[in-house]
Amino acid sequence: MTATADTHRLTTAKAMVDGITAEMDRDESVIYLGEDVGAYGGIFGSSTGLLDRFGATRVIDTPISETAFIGLGIGAAVEGMRPIVELMFVDFFGVCMDQIYNHMAKISYESGGNVKVPMVLTTAVGGGYSDGAQHSQCLWGTFAHLPGMKVVAPSNPYDAKGLMASAIRDDGPVVYMFHKGVMGLVWMAKNQRAIDEVPDEPYTVPIGQARVARTGSSVTVVTVSLSVHHALDVAEKLAGDGIDVEVLDLRSLVPLDRAAIVASVRKTGRLVVVDEDYLSYGLSGEVVASVTDVDPSLLRAPVARVAVPDVPIPYAHALEYAVLPRHDRIEAAIRAVAAA
Amino acid sequence: MTEVMFPALSKENPAALGVLATWFVHDGERVTAGQLLAEVQVDKVSVEVPAPAAGVVRLLVREEAEVPQGTPIARVDTATGSSPP
Repeated sequence: MTATADTHRLTTAKAMVDGITAEMDRDESVIYLGEDVGAYGGIFGSSTGLLDRFGATRVIDTPISETAFIGLGIGAAVEGMRPIVELMFVDFFGVCMDQIYNHMAKISYESGGNVKVPMVLTTAVGGGYSDGAQHSQCLWGTFAHLPGMKVVAPSNPYDAKGLMASAIRDDGPVVYMFHKGVMGLVWMAKNQRAIDEVPDEPYTVPIGQARVARTGSSVTVVTVSLSVHHALDVAEKLAGDGIDVEVLDLRSLVPLDRAAIVASVRKTGRLVVVDEDYLSYGLSGEVVASVTDVDPSLLRAPVARVAVPDVPIPYAHALEYAVLPRHDRIEAAIRAVAAA
Repeated sequence: MTEVMFPALSKENPAALGVLATWFVHDGERVTAGQLLAEVQVDKVSVEVPAPAAGVVRLLVREEAEVPQGTPIARVDTATGSSPP
């Protein structure tokens, strides 16, 4: 896409901030709080510039006290505000999970729907840059497993802005998981798919609708977030070998667009699931069940799941790349399923 | 016409090589003063380069090209009435 008067080229991080800015402009009840979200602008650029524009009463730096400030966000949401609360790394959820899944996620149910929690929990996820076992996980399957929260994970600038608007306007809690590798940060691995033209005007991307990122007829690859980029790279390579890959970007885990998964597999008969979260008890198995629950006979070959084997993510670069679902493993899986 | 220089990020080495990490505008695009043009990087330090003036921007280096600090990376044609081709 080329620039017009109505679009600008943005990184995913800048598009995310653009979406937050638009909502803060139109709704005074939207605030942003978390660690280093003010003057620092978020360690992955998730809030850059918000403090200058909206001031310290709406963009709030918190102490290192996740239970306290996530609880503060829940209280503000219950009282009618629309807080966005940033958990710096999703890996830190252990110190604040009671607030997240016993309070943020359940208050609406426990009150018979009378109390709403219109809150967004933003958090950085993902590995690939040697940050070790406690700073590299995706963990979206964990949040998706627990009822009461929507879970979104944008892969590109357009979706980052549109899903942010939808998340803020949603009357229930939304966990917005941004992979560090899709943010377009220059100190990370360069990723051209993390920069694109984005409309200047506010818009929404509906939560719960997958997107066909590439149309194909041979094999369906269902994936989300950074793995969408890897899958598209592999698909372009395999097109030369006569393997026509369809790539489905889920965009959200909750709600999961099961109909889109089934529709694609109905067409191709072959399924590869690529998930940067752990293999067992997670998204990849859920995607497969979305097909087999409906009609196992849609599958003309066994399914392949490319995920992180059930080990903590290594720090050493070569070992980390060995466990992450990167191009080599994705390509091998697609070739195997296509040939089966 | 106003030249846009690669900013000096390394004080120790004035001729340090940097990288034009990302262009946020297209060649020939009309920009406003202060609009984000590029993000550039020297070693692990990155900085954003805003447009020094309004006008039509001409990009002088490719994205991901290595550029010595202090060399021009773009021109902004500030002449009134000019428009993109």
